[in-house]
Amino acid sequence: MSARVGRVAALALLAAVHLAALGAGFLAPYAPTAQNRTLPYAPPAPLRFVDAEGVFHLRPFVYAVTEQGSVTGAYAEDRRRAYPVRFLVPGAPYRFAGLPGHVHLFGVDEPARIFLLGADGFGRDQLSRLLHGAQISLFAGLMATVLSLGVGWLLGTVSGFYGRGVDAVIMRSAELFLALPWLYLLFAVRAMLPLSIPPARAFLLLVLVIGLVDWARPARLVRGVVLTARERSYVLAARGFGASDLYLIRRHISPQTAGLLLTQAALLVPQYILAEVTLSFLGLGVSEPVPSWGNMLADLQHYHVLASYWWMWAPGLALVPVILAYYALSEALSTR
Amino acid sequence: MPALLEVRDLTVHYTSGNGAPAVAVDELSLDVEEGEVVGLLGESGCGKTTLLLAILGLLPESAHVVKGSIRFRGRELRTLSGAELRGLRGAEVSIIFQEPALALNPVRRVGPQVAEVVRAHRRWSRRRCREEALSMLAEVGFTAPERVHDSYPHELSGGERQRVVIAQALACRPALILADEPTASLDSTTQAELRALLGALQSRFGLALLLVSHDLGALAALAHRVLVMYAGRLVEAGGPTQVFGDPLHPYSRGLLRALPRAPDPAGSREQRIPPPIPGMSPDPAHLPPGCAFEPRCPDRLPPCVERPPQETRLADGRHVRCFKYGG
Repeated sequence: MSARVGRVAALALLAAVHLAALGAGFLAPYAPTAQNRTLPYAPPAPLRFVDAEGVFHLRPFVYAVTEQGSVTGAYAEDRRRAYPVRFLVPGAPYRFAGLPGHVHLFGVDEPARIFLLGADGFGRDQLSRLLHGAQISLFAGLMATVLSLGVGWLLGTVSGFYGRGVDAVIMRSAELFLALPWLYLLFAVRAMLPLSIPPARAFLLLVLVIGLVDWARPARLVRGVVLTARERSYVLAARGFGASDLYLIRRHISPQTAGLLLTQAALLVPQYILAEVTLSFLGLGVSEPVPSWGNMLADLQHYHVLASYWWMWAPGLALVPVILAYYALSEALSTR
Repeated sequence: MPALLEVRDLTVHYTSGNGAPAVAVDELSLDVEEGEVVGLLGESGCGKTTLLLAILGLLPESAHVVKGSIRFRGRELRTLSGAELRGLRGAEVSIIFQEPALALNPVRRVGPQVAEVVRAHRRWSRRRCREEALSMLAEVGFTAPERVHDSYPHELSGGERQRVVIAQALACRPALILADEPTASLDSTTQAELRALLGALQSRFGLALLLVSHDLGALAALAHRVLVMYAGRLVEAGGPTQVFGDPLHPYSRGLLRALPRAPDPAGSREQRIPPPIPGMSPDPAHLPPGCAFEPRCPDRLPPCVERPPQETRLADGRHVRCFKYGG
């Protein structure tokens, strides 16, 4: 029973996180690239209900903050004016599912800012960046998974079904790819490309490289399933009635690999999310100013950021439950 | 006029590792005429299934045809391309396997599995193939083809599943069906039903049948001709009354003696147990130089150990391969 609850919780969490990433434009109060140079490393603004006079307000509000003196990150609240949180406010334009939009779920009046998760060194809202960064990081993981499973499935099926020479060639190259240290391979691939490439292309490249390097493991697993599936009597029987190879693969062989692919997908997505984060962290992935969880974490490479501004850890803290949820899901799928 | 199916000197070897090749079918020749039912009898491992698989080019990777020819309607099947063979299988020559439970994909409804045989050979719409499948299911004796069409294999009984497999085999109206023990795994009343069904379908569609079976009842009832196979060779051929009534080859006689009969109430327990043929069938990788049955034969003659006997045609039209009858 508790396992079931865990499964449902994991699924619910993943659904929520991915929906939030999809709706980042609407959920985030600001554009991820909007800077506030006067507010570097502004701390998370607490939502308040009781004002300076001790009066309770049903609608939460924030105070505007200003930097104190010359010390970065030391801020004082201006309690003379409260800025109530407003819902469905117009703001920075964004696109959702290809449609332009400019209404945000919540916001506060200018000149105050609502930085629920603080701001980074350029005074950019950390929450907005976290949500927009999730789009890159989570969907890079998903797309790379689709790609590597697609390639792995195709090569594994061909290898297992036809056997002999084809099998030998594909499996030997699979072993070669398994032996390659992928991180260094990615370094090498990245090093061959121009230093600065547009974020969209960098994203696609990242997905392509992660997905294409890691086809070997799914290919070997699929091959194993195909090897047993093709020996079934009904496969021979179907051959006896004139079935083509394509028909056999489509109707009798592939359906048996579906469960394996699903489990593998749940296992690979978190790995590939981490791969994207790693590469962007090292500056090989999506580059500034477009946020990804990896390049947001790159700020932590500076010790003073790591030590002084805990809210800069947010992408790392967000990664942990997402990845654990994916592993829980794959566990649930494989034991079912 | 050539026969529908002509197999000449067919030899099939299995190779495993570095040992000597195992001879599964040894210079075997047989004919099946249009509309004729030929029964093939022999113990497990004597090469019956290998023969059927070889005819349709379905041999596993470890087996290969060493020599001989297989002609269907005068066309040599050994030299056909993969696509030509696929066009032949199911459309002109179908094969039914022994275990009906395993010949159907357990996770798919049976109707589409019949319809897809039609789809593989005819450029018909999905709808028309479905209708054809339904009429085929009615043809093999289902009174509610619609219900069967939407059933999964596990929802059907063994006999029903075998009917579905027969519907698949018949779906494109082939001229010849190779049936590998189609009634073996069924209980005896169901066997009787399927025997009757096969007989009815055979005469209705003018089918030729190459029927491999341990079910002597089926062979006696359906076959026009019976062939007895031992260690990859044909040892005897004749009409069912000849072979079953008066078997000539010592192996055929032993085989028929080993049949269980309805018990004689007066007989002792020992008398009720049919006598087995002593010894074991030879290792196909090390066939004796003489007659393959010689080590187990009660009537062995001096030449039996030296060379294999040749096929002798007797006056009554029967063929036998034994030195007792000339060799």
